[in-house]
Amino acid sequence: MSLDAALQTFYVEAQENLESMESVLLQIDEGECNDDMLNDIFRSAHTIKGSAGIFGLDHIVSFTHVVENVLDRARDNEITLDHDLVNILFKCRDHMESLVSFSLDDFQEETELQQTGKSLLIALSPWSNEDLKEEVSTKLTQPLTSIQEAIDDKKCWHISLRLSNDCLKNGMDPLSFIKFLASLGEIKHIECLTDNFPDLADFDPENLYLAYEIALQSNADLATIENTFMFVQDDSDIVILPPDTKIDDYINLIENLPESKERLGEILVRCGALTQNSLEQSLTQQNKTQQGSEHEDKQLLGEVLTQQSTVPEKVVNAALNKQKQSQNAASESKQIRVDSDRLDNLINLIGELVINQQRIDLLAKKSGDPSLVEAVDDFEDFTEQIRDAALSLRMVPIGGTFQKFKRLVRDTAQELGKDIELIIEGADTELDRLMVEKLADPLTHIVRNAMDHGLESIEQRQAAGKPTKGQLKLAAYHDAGHIILAISDDGNGIDKERVREKAIDKGIINTETVMTDNELFHLIFHPGFSTAQEITNLSGRGVGMDVVKRNVEALQGNIEISSETGQGSTFKIRLPLTLAIIDGFHVESHNTHFIIPQATIIECIDLDAHIDIEGRHCINLRGDMIPYLNMEEIFNLTPSMKQETNRDKENSKRHSTELVIVQFGGEMAGIAVDKLNGEIQTVVKPLGPIFKALKGIGGSSLLGNGDIAFILDVPQLIELAIGDETHLTKSLISSNENSNQNSPTE
Amino acid sequence: MQNTGTSESQSKTSQFLTFTIGKENFGMDLHQTREIIEYAGITQVPLMPQFLSGVINLRGEVVPVIDLSVRLGREAITLHKRTCVIVVELHSFEQHCVLGLLADAVNEVIEISAENIEDAPAFGAKIRAEFIQGIAKKGEEFIVLLDAEKTLSPIELAYLVEAELQ
Repeated sequence: MSLDAALQTFYVEAQENLESMESVLLQIDEGECNDDMLNDIFRSAHTIKGSAGIFGLDHIVSFTHVVENVLDRARDNEITLDHDLVNILFKCRDHMESLVSFSLDDFQEETELQQTGKSLLIALSPWSNEDLKEEVSTKLTQPLTSIQEAIDDKKCWHISLRLSNDCLKNGMDPLSFIKFLASLGEIKHIECLTDNFPDLADFDPENLYLAYEIALQSNADLATIENTFMFVQDDSDIVILPPDTKIDDYINLIENLPESKERLGEILVRCGALTQNSLEQSLTQQNKTQQGSEHEDKQLLGEVLTQQSTVPEKVVNAALNKQKQSQNAASESKQIRVDSDRLDNLINLIGELVINQQRIDLLAKKSGDPSLVEAVDDFEDFTEQIRDAALSLRMVPIGGTFQKFKRLVRDTAQELGKDIELIIEGADTELDRLMVEKLADPLTHIVRNAMDHGLESIEQRQAAGKPTKGQLKLAAYHDAGHIILAISDDGNGIDKERVREKAIDKGIINTETVMTDNELFHLIFHPGFSTAQEITNLSGRGVGMDVVKRNVEALQGNIEISSETGQGSTFKIRLPLTLAIIDGFHVESHNTHFIIPQATIIECIDLDAHIDIEGRHCINLRGDMIPYLNMEEIFNLTPSMKQETNRDKENSKRHSTELVIVQFGGEMAGIAVDKLNGEIQTVVKPLGPIFKALKGIGGSSLLGNGDIAFILDVPQLIELAIGDETHLTKSLISSNENSNQNSPTE
Repeated sequence: MQNTGTSESQSKTSQFLTFTIGKENFGMDLHQTREIIEYAGITQVPLMPQFLSGVINLRGEVVPVIDLSVRLGREAITLHKRTCVIVVELHSFEQHCVLGLLADAVNEVIEISAENIEDAPAFGAKIRAEFIQGIAKKGEEFIVLLDAEKTLSPIELAYLVEAELQ
């Protein structure tokens, strides 16, 4: 526990405040504005300023102060928040965000930040009643101090030296090391330990018996300090702890050193590395269980701060109060934060539970004891509920992700000089958290593309007789066990001719290639493809859409594009509900087990009764022609376990008799198998990188009896079935034509 | 646990698990082997090349099994009562990779010091030279020490599967 953690808290708190500032500004921008909202936004700015003050982050304080001042005047109705001011406030908010993150990591250009700060303050000056000119020239030219630096000023490195006994014999004088350290900075405290001193009789004047604990205040980096001991580090124990080391690390140090814990503890306290209280607390914590100490850590923030005399009492009291407030807020929303690893672990365990449950089910049915079977049935119900509950823990509504696009759309629309309205539908549709994270980038790409290429400028829209305000819609909904994210605009649509030209230009297709609209649209996912006539800031570099496709496919999803010239385009991202456990339907073909995801199944029928045309892989289902695939054919299954005589008999005929009708993305197909075994819950076990090229099989799963089943990849199979059928139909048509020509008189 | 070897030759001694396929003896670094299990059936994966015998259920984990004999350019292994599966674990890739190997018999764990290992012969071994880490001699017999990372490289295996499917 150290100031480092306090800093982290500041960062999280600042982020929350910045987010709430953003959402309030968006509301104000849409025309709603009341006193509560003004108070909210003022409070956010004020809190950030206050917290930054505690850490001595003057650059944040001085910038935020001006923003706060303007907001205060708006609160008192001295000025109104018009469109221009809101624009500047948005930018100020972003600048505050960069300042806060600058404090945490020094990646950004310092002067650039100062420059932005200055120009923003000048832009703000018409609304402020303070003389900002002076503010700008004095306060903002001061160098930016990162939080880290601010703390480093006050804290010391701790060096624990246990030089080898032979050190003096080797010609090394410990004093020279200490002198060199003093040249790197200021030695605040030094303790010499004489515990190793032997009885006088055993004393060897050429041996070194002394050990040192040193507190060094220095701006040198770890490597420099380490280099001091370059010549002795091989046979000595040297521990160098940087200034913001956690107390736990000090405790580890105490544990690892040969001297007694109490004595070392005292020394560390005298060096200023630890406070008496935190030492005692930490030492008792050591005796508690590991978990206990983790919890302890979290509530210590305020308490440790008080012990560090560098922070004035008053400030800490204020901070403590605030912490209480935020704790209250947290308990109100009844949420707990859980490490995602723990959650994943739970879900894995439940996966094992499901497999075990199936094994027990199998055994119970074998035993034939009705009461046992009944008990196991109940058990199955509960297992299913536990599974669903556990999976739902990982589900988060997509709304949060969609909400972030409001700002993006607003800013981009302004930049492009277009008038765009964002409509959000199905914000409460839930998705696996892992997927939500990985979707942010692909969605951003598609949304930007829609705004840049899809939606027209105001003049163009007027000329086309459309309303000047372009519409961009983000929608999420369920469909057949999948989640669909649809991004649609009412813009120009994809220009098929231009896509075609470009593709020919880039050598992706040649001039003779005949393509369906769908195939043509999918060309835009080709790496290095971009139809934008001029490259803009936002898109047009031709990187992106191929990445979008790859990201979505990595989540076992796919993208569909539909577009009408002049009417707009829609991108549909189709994703599985979850990646871990699925409801499946267990089928068999030649003793090979397959699982078809339940959500894709429409019905099961008898194959022979529906055969329409012999020799074609197509059936007539209530008047609809549906292509089907025979598992034994496409997977080349051999009836190794079947008796030869049987096989001979059926040699010319199909073996499969059952047909499972599946659908995905509006297409239907049949899967022909030998045997239907019924519904089953399965845990998806990926087959690993070796089998990546295997199409039609998406993974594997264990059955109750330990056998391995393959999970069918229905979208791939449907594609295959339709492809096969089109191919076959073409050849059939041509052979029909031939036979017609041959026998015209018939 | 740190074994600060005093003499250099001692620190270069490695342990190898030796096994027999057909009439040949092979060895593999013990660190890369995890366990040996009895062959108790295998689930064939459709459309796979011959060297990929199938997958097994190893206590809830689905593990691919390789017929090393085919992989090394020999005839497919004949299954019998004593056929066993050596489970190996490779770490050199992004995620660790667990594979099973079919073997006729597993013999013993032997220690071989570096100077008793000879380089792979440039020709005449009937095995791709890069698969061989070295040749060790035990009594009158030669033991071919296989380089598991190369012989079982998931990238190469995946490539072979892809080639088979096309």
